[in-house]
Amino acid sequence: MIPVESESSTKNGIKIVYVAKENLLAFLTEKKEQGFDTLLMITGVDYRDHLEVLYHLLSSKTNERLIVKTKTNEEVESVTSLWKGANWHEREAWDLLGIKFLNHPNLTRILLPEGWVGHPLRKDYPMDKKQYVNLADDGKDRVSFEKSEGY
Amino acid sequence: MSDSILVTSIDEAMKWGTGKSLWPFTFGLACCAIEMMSTMGSDYDWARFGSDVFRDSPRHSDLMIVSGTVTKKMAPRIRRLYDQMAFPKFVISMGACASAGGPYVRGYSVVDGVDQVVPVDVYLYGCPPRPEALIQALKLLQDRIVAGKVKH
Repeated sequence: MIPVESESSTKNGIKIVYVAKENLLAFLTEKKEQGFDTLLMITGVDYRDHLEVLYHLLSSKTNERLIVKTKTNEEVESVTSLWKGANWHEREAWDLLGIKFLNHPNLTRILLPEGWVGHPLRKDYPMDKKQYVNLADDGKDRVSFEKSEGY
Repeated sequence: MSDSILVTSIDEAMKWGTGKSLWPFTFGLACCAIEMMSTMGSDYDWARFGSDVFRDSPRHSDLMIVSGTVTKKMAPRIRRLYDQMAFPKFVISMGACASAGGPYVRGYSVVDGVDQVVPVDVYLYGCPPRPEALIQALKLLQDRIVAGKVKH
């Protein structure tokens, strides 16, 4: 039995569980064995002093749902070993929020071009510094702060 | 004799023919593309106006309908596809996003208007524009082709 930090529930009765990030992978492994076989989505939230990662689980047999949250400063263990579908969700969380997933098979940007500076859904992302994208001769994206070098 | 011979200049006939046989490029970027598909479907059937089948290759087509949000990642690709199209070529900027950035104009990832990437002949407002509006844009483009008032 993995200890949880706190428990609550949403307005429509979905259980929310906070887990320490060291116990996260073990906790999710345990929940998967208990029947929560589907990972609906992974999201992240920036609370300025810390980041939070949310895992929405579904049991396809009992139709029960569970939300697992963990607080982190930047790094959290990847769950691609449990659910293959977590791969792109984690890449999106990395791309937009800068949450680093350890032991992820291919942690690269998924939406923004490679070479983009910063993670745009962070609260401290500088919105006034525009970045411009262009295609290089090798077919890859080039990101620049100069308006003349891209679109 | 006078009712069986049509006298015209070859230039005028070419312009008329170009306008009445536009081949659009299958190029959907966002939700406006759904309206574009509806326009080409049987309900609105814009083949009636001489703009026939949507082509899957830029080399087969002469009309690019930029239907949706132009992201910064997509913009250089749009330019490349436009450069691959053969002359004469025309561009309809469909909807608020393609024309001026739309609701995402202050966003970090969206170009404020496709006219920064390719020359635009007809701007079409709406979010998204209804199929009737797209048909009107097509008629407007045809009128401009006949009048010789197009960018390329």
